[in-house]
Amino acid sequence: MSAAAGTTLAPPVEHRRDIRPFAQAMALAGRSARSTLRQPEMWLPSLIFPLMIAAVNNSAMARAVNLPGFPPVDSVLQFLLPATIVQGVMFGAISGGSDLALDIQNGFWERLVASPVSRPAILIGRLTGGALLGACQTVVFVAIFALFGARVDGGPAGVLVLMGMAVMVTLMIGGITAAVGVRTGSQETVDAAFPLVFILLFMSSAFFPTALMSGWFRSVAEHNPLSWMIDGARHQVIVGFDASEALQAVLVPAVIAVFTISLAVRQMQKRLERDS
Amino acid sequence: MTASATFASSGGDNTAPGGSIVGVASSLAQRSLVNIVRTPSAVVPTIAMPLFFIVAFSGAFSALTEIPGFPTDNALNWFMPWAIMQGAAFAGMGICFGVARDLENGFYDRLLMAPTHRGALILGPMAAASVRVLLPVVTVSVVGFAAGARLTDGLIGMVTLVVAAEGFALVAGLWGLGVVYRVRNQKSSALIQVGIFVTMFLSIGQAPVALMEGWLVHVARLNPLTYVLNMARAGFLGAVTWAEVWPGLLAIAGGLVVFGIWAGTGFRRMVR
Repeated sequence: MSAAAGTTLAPPVEHRRDIRPFAQAMALAGRSARSTLRQPEMWLPSLIFPLMIAAVNNSAMARAVNLPGFPPVDSVLQFLLPATIVQGVMFGAISGGSDLALDIQNGFWERLVASPVSRPAILIGRLTGGALLGACQTVVFVAIFALFGARVDGGPAGVLVLMGMAVMVTLMIGGITAAVGVRTGSQETVDAAFPLVFILLFMSSAFFPTALMSGWFRSVAEHNPLSWMIDGARHQVIVGFDASEALQAVLVPAVIAVFTISLAVRQMQKRLERDS
Repeated sequence: MTASATFASSGGDNTAPGGSIVGVASSLAQRSLVNIVRTPSAVVPTIAMPLFFIVAFSGAFSALTEIPGFPTDNALNWFMPWAIMQGAAFAGMGICFGVARDLENGFYDRLLMAPTHRGALILGPMAAASVRVLLPVVTVSVVGFAAGARLTDGLIGMVTLVVAAEGFALVAGLWGLGVVYRVRNQKSSALIQVGIFVTMFLSIGQAPVALMEGWLVHVARLNPLTYVLNMARAGFLGAVTWAEVWPGLLAIAGGLVVFGIWAGTGFRRMVR
């Protein structure tokens, strides 16, 4: 009986090689998502901290919405929704890269590499798992903000754009953290990248409109691609759905994601060459 | 064991066979400070994060000063003391991370076995925190003043700022030590940071109470750090008055007592 079960669960190696890379990537994505969901300490901070910062800013900067030049919003919360989503998924994306480094540290990577799994599937699986969670996180943030009166004026289409942006941001940040994780094999180094990512976010229009900034800081924020992305997403929230703004919100992180994922692929090839 | 017995026999005497409490505490403080030179990466947050905060906050939120009722028209005057207080928090937390490392690698066991006064094991890190806090005070002040921050009541404003930063670093350090003595590993760092940053964000860091709306108004009024920040900012927003200073001093004194007990009971529980 057990032999029969074993036969069912573990098909011959030749058969497993036939499994398409896409299916392998999806299996690894599922593993990544399940692994994150089973550890609340990994996903809880990515929900709680952005929400706390939004709640504090909503009270502390409530009167800023009356400043000339501040976009017309119902509340600061509505203005902050895209920034909160980006913050949340950034947390998750960094822990994705961190997990990859942990896989290397604890030997799971070596077992994966030794198995007949397609090499790109290892990376794509990990990144896709994070991206799926990023999309779910977006829905949670949108729902919580709606409870407090901050609605997405773009409706379901606007929410879809926000989800698309979240997925692309997860891939963008996941790509760079995966590159660092694969190169160094050190979870600590990947975790240390968080402040750098946070600095990039702060020097954008995420928390305050660039029109109300001044000097060199304004110039940096206006040229920060994260500002272009967030402004596109914010348009869906405070004005309504607009195709060109939606494209801006999704394409900017998508283009950067292509670059960061190719970096990660390159680092993976180097590690495989080094290990072989 | 023998060492413990020897220590126990010294009772409340400040001079244990291993040296006086002050001597041992200063040696431990020196050791902690030498680590700054040996592992600069460990001290980066103490300097780099406050510098980032002063740049980011004063850059991103400079327009907040245009809101009617904001106590200054110079964003740097508002955010520089805030950034220094954040550096003070990192200075206090930093020494706790060092203690956590010592606990994990076994060095702390050797300290406990040594015939020294155990009070020095708390006083030493505290002394190190009080020196370490000068790093953000100096670096952030240099950058802040160079960028345009101005004292509005002469040097007394710097004195109240330094006293506030020193006090906050010590309170943060005692809070952190209490956590480290209970958790006894480096994972305690997350809990220490969460406690401190939540307290900081729920204060008047970004905006004065008068301009806040909703729940944060009440929380910020109840948060002792609000009064320490009022004292820290006093010399940057007008004249330094006793009305702004004494609540800050009282909040620091209260914090030292409460978290001193927290750290002391944690230490006793650990060595029991």
